[in-house]
Amino acid sequence: MKRMLALLPLLFALALTQSATEILDRVEKNLQDPWQAVVQGLVQGPSGQEGLRARVFALPKENLFRIEFQKPGSLEGNFTVITEKEVWNYLYLTNQLIISPKEKAQVQGLGFSPQGLGDLKGLSERVALRVVGEERLPEGTAWKLLGQAKEGQGFASLELYILKADPRPVRFVFRDEAGKVLADLKVVEFKRAALRAQDLKRYPKDAQVVRR
Amino acid sequence: MRRALFWLFLGLSSALAQGRLEAGVYGVPGALAPTLEAALALEAGEAYLRLGPGRGALGLMGSLSLGPLGYLAYGVQGEVGEGGLGGALFAEGGAGPIALEGRLGYRPQEALPLFPEAGLFGRVALRYRLLPKEVVGLLLERGEVARAEATYALREGATYTLGAGASRLPYLVLGWKGEVGEGMEVLDLALRLGGLNRLEAGLYLGEASLFLTLSYPFAGSVGAWVGDLGLEGGYKGFPYAWVRYIWRWP
Repeated sequence: MKRMLALLPLLFALALTQSATEILDRVEKNLQDPWQAVVQGLVQGPSGQEGLRARVFALPKENLFRIEFQKPGSLEGNFTVITEKEVWNYLYLTNQLIISPKEKAQVQGLGFSPQGLGDLKGLSERVALRVVGEERLPEGTAWKLLGQAKEGQGFASLELYILKADPRPVRFVFRDEAGKVLADLKVVEFKRAALRAQDLKRYPKDAQVVRR
Repeated sequence: MRRALFWLFLGLSSALAQGRLEAGVYGVPGALAPTLEAALALEAGEAYLRLGPGRGALGLMGSLSLGPLGYLAYGVQGEVGEGGLGGALFAEGGAGPIALEGRLGYRPQEALPLFPEAGLFGRVALRYRLLPKEVVGLLLERGEVARAEATYALREGATYTLGAGASRLPYLVLGWKGEVGEGMEVLDLALRLGGLNRLEAGLYLGEASLFLTLSYPFAGSVGAWVGDLGLEGGYKGFPYAWVRYIWRWP
């Protein structure tokens, strides 16, 4: 009996781990069709805390995501495209498109990585998430998931809120090792939309393409 | 020696991963010469070789990506050739609202077309994004010409640039860059009038790019990149033509 009692926390933890996977599977099924949304909130930048607003476009079946930065002003015009194998970063000021293999692009060591905002499945592979409860948010009841990031992600832990009624992420909180918030971002203006791969991959024709 | 270096580089390139080889022919009246540029991706950056008539260079380049925040490339180049040794240091890139380009080098004499500067040459260009749509720039250059230039660029659909510079005498800078046509082709125009007289135009079609430069005292060039094939012809005190092709692997 004692042995069974000792096993209970382990079984409970296992159950929660499974349900985090289940929740992410539900999100994946729910977000199979193309969608777009706006991610906005506060991030810890090199010069302190600043507002971030980015438009996210997703073609999940093609593993293709595009994040267009609108705020802060220094990033306006910059965008990130995530493909099956690569990450493209377009930099407006230098008119460069920097193309990196995904494994190289993830090691940036500079605050939170915005790649997970569009690619939740990819993000969950880099963060061991578990369910810690439910919370009422303005959008409705949401599952709260918490997880520690693997090394080299630019953040130590992630709090993720998934809407129960329409399984999709509605809030991301990225923290560093000391628990300080690196980014607190909400997903708003979500809608399913007709998107084309060539539009998500578009970049200025005079841009200098740099392959790393 | 040059042939041995070429085969060594080619051998290395087939043994190693990603790279590119750019081979060309440069012609002036009565003479033709090969040009060669080759680069190999290394774990920490890139090694490259440049060979032209009368001069060759070996260089190492590194880079640092800051994701959507910025990118920095930097390197060092050593040269051997007619007149003696030379070399250059360079760095360029941007982070957040700042873009910077710096270059400093020396070579005893020019060796066209790959090594156009002679003596001590350098360039510092700094651009700062004042507001999301406004960028100010400062440029100091000592190369084929010596000049100092300050510019202000405003993006309202297209990007309009206004500036002033000095190259012995003061000059005016006017620029326009924007998307034209249904295929969102990019047209980039820059005009300098006064102490420096030069019109530069570029039309970027996606699969091909066209370039035109006209200067006074008279010099000029027209060029095109069609895929990996580069064609250029012009007059620079003498007529010249340059044809290049780039192979990339894998």
